[in-house]
Amino acid sequence: MPAVFVVIVVLAAYFLAYRFYSRYLAQKVYMLDKSFETPAHEFEDGVDYVPTNKHVLFGHHFTSVAGAAPIVGPAIAVFWGWLPALLWVTLGTIFAAGVHDMGSLVVSVRNKGQNIGTLTSNVINPRARTLFLIIIFFLLTLVNAVFAVVMAILFEANPGAVIPATLIIPIAIIIGQFAYRGRGPILIPAIIAVAVLYASIPIGQAFPIQVDGLANALGTDTRVVWIVIIFAYTWFASRLPVWLLLQPRDYINSFQLFIALAVIFLGIAVGFDRIVAPAVNTDIPAGSPSVFPFLFITIACGAISGFHSLVASGTSSKQLENEEDARYVGYMGAVGEGSLALGSLLACTAGIGAFAAWSESYADFGTASDGAVGNFTQGVGSFASNLGIPEAMGVIFAAVVVITFAGTTMDTGIRLQRYIIQEIGEIVNVRPLTRNITLTTTVGVLIPMGLALYPGGGGEPGSFAFGSLWRLFGTTNQLTAGLALTVVAVWVFTRNRNPLAQIVPLTFLLAMTTYALFLQLGQFFNEGEWLLLVVDAIIFILAVWLIIEAIAAFNRARGVRGRAGRGASPE
Amino acid sequence: MSGRMTHRIILVREWDSQTAASGCCGRLGGENTELGDPNTYRHNREEMEKMGAVYRALREDLFDEEVEITVVDPRNVVWLIPSVLRDARKRGLTIRDIFRQINRGVSYNAVILDGKVLFSGHVPTPDDAVSAVRSELEAMEPVGA
Repeated sequence: MPAVFVVIVVLAAYFLAYRFYSRYLAQKVYMLDKSFETPAHEFEDGVDYVPTNKHVLFGHHFTSVAGAAPIVGPAIAVFWGWLPALLWVTLGTIFAAGVHDMGSLVVSVRNKGQNIGTLTSNVINPRARTLFLIIIFFLLTLVNAVFAVVMAILFEANPGAVIPATLIIPIAIIIGQFAYRGRGPILIPAIIAVAVLYASIPIGQAFPIQVDGLANALGTDTRVVWIVIIFAYTWFASRLPVWLLLQPRDYINSFQLFIALAVIFLGIAVGFDRIVAPAVNTDIPAGSPSVFPFLFITIACGAISGFHSLVASGTSSKQLENEEDARYVGYMGAVGEGSLALGSLLACTAGIGAFAAWSESYADFGTASDGAVGNFTQGVGSFASNLGIPEAMGVIFAAVVVITFAGTTMDTGIRLQRYIIQEIGEIVNVRPLTRNITLTTTVGVLIPMGLALYPGGGGEPGSFAFGSLWRLFGTTNQLTAGLALTVVAVWVFTRNRNPLAQIVPLTFLLAMTTYALFLQLGQFFNEGEWLLLVVDAIIFILAVWLIIEAIAAFNRARGVRGRAGRGASPE
Repeated sequence: MSGRMTHRIILVREWDSQTAASGCCGRLGGENTELGDPNTYRHNREEMEKMGAVYRALREDLFDEEVEITVVDPRNVVWLIPSVLRDARKRGLTIRDIFRQINRGVSYNAVILDGKVLFSGHVPTPDDAVSAVRSELEAMEPVGA
């Protein structure tokens, strides 16, 4: 089937969902009220609280939530065939992500723009806030681990991407100096930077950089060397002021995001590439993870992502001009991320070439996981060739996009980890952890690096635990979403409205996540993967804790609902 | 003053902790998020506070005018560039002028009125901003209005 047909069908589904389902949510569930005074108006100060045009706000919101995660998950999940992955991305976006993102925004708006952590404490109980922070800690650890591996895989598979991906650092620093110190206009420098970045791709191809020699000399695997180099870079990068590298690189990233989306979807439209992967993969080797429940944690971002609740609450909610705009900003933000996931899915099933190439790339789950981002870049290269761009250049372009996105995620992630470690240091009263930034950065880097390297230190190819790590990352992301959905569902329920739109995805999500964690416990035990077993066990306990909190919250909410009259005022 | 006409002022400044394409870690630092060191984006806060004063001064002074004030991050180019382009075209600027306005408008800080950049690269004082906007609005007033 031509991929473009799938695009048309899915975009039509998103359109209808926005048109009808989000309207149902807006009118019947969240009861959006145009006359409600949003925090942006109530506390208008031009600093944090600023009534903002919904299109402007969507731009801020979408660029914040988009990244590498909705690319990697679907690229792995097509292992089970394109249809299950497509159904989860589409239905997840419509019935889970849209409800979650829009709901988080609305509940925050109705609570003076509070962020999801505070809302968790207020709507559920203070204990649930602790749960939220613990989940976030594990989520950040796993984020940093998986993205380091993603970058290492891409550097290993695309030595031609090393020069462009490295060049972005001095380019960004120069832009930063120009913008922040020189106070000059930034558009032309940013466009030149993007042009120089892409112009460096042929140079990268001509001078591929490999670390195989170093790896051999050290008696280890190439990927291990790359992972260590990446974490060393992140250690330094996260120590720099954000205006020096992180923020200037954002100008380049914001262009790259839209260029990548354009290349993917225009390439699909022009090329009419056919999907070569089977709709449902019946040739799955024994012992592989089953589609139920692992599909639903392999694709987190792109179907539903808990992190969107953090973006929606806290900042977006303080800028919402009109409560009715929550439908556009929140629901469409989810649709935007779902579209990115769709592009990734099609790159790995239609852009990858012939069926034989797909079968080889997805021969087993380990191969599928390790090769997922490579398959994505290959697919984008193929789509780019439909637009007249040489395929090899297109592959490097896609690799550079994913590497820079992942690099930004890690830079931010390590900073956050460092801060959380400092907070933990204060709680347990370990002074060096609260004051010594070098120490906290080192701890913040070593923990995810240990996970990223485990257990593949120089072992057989494919012995890395990336697939397992990615699934653990997915579980923590789904638990964050579960917590946010619980907050939204309880909020809806206590207002005498039907919370089914939240309870169905919440129940499904928690059931799949807990089931997956349980199955993985057995798997890790049988395989002697003790570190992963411990991490999985902790996340499993967090999941059970969350389920207990959710049930208790609903029981309390039942009492509140009994006291409140039907049709009572929302606040 | 052209009261029947709707004007648009765009205040360009970075939003603290706005991080494009960071996916899972987008907007997790700064003052309004629970996580992360608020001091990470201290420089942004200072600019936000300064532009906030400009925002409030303009709101107060143009209270009875049909003026829309939008605050936008310069990284939001998919909205900012078309908006400046549209406003500048509506105003009848030449292509060369339009390009100049877009170039100066996509800056760390800028104040733009109906597609024309009044300040670029720094945050003006509230008085300067109000004065410049007033002068520009008067200059735009149709003859005999």
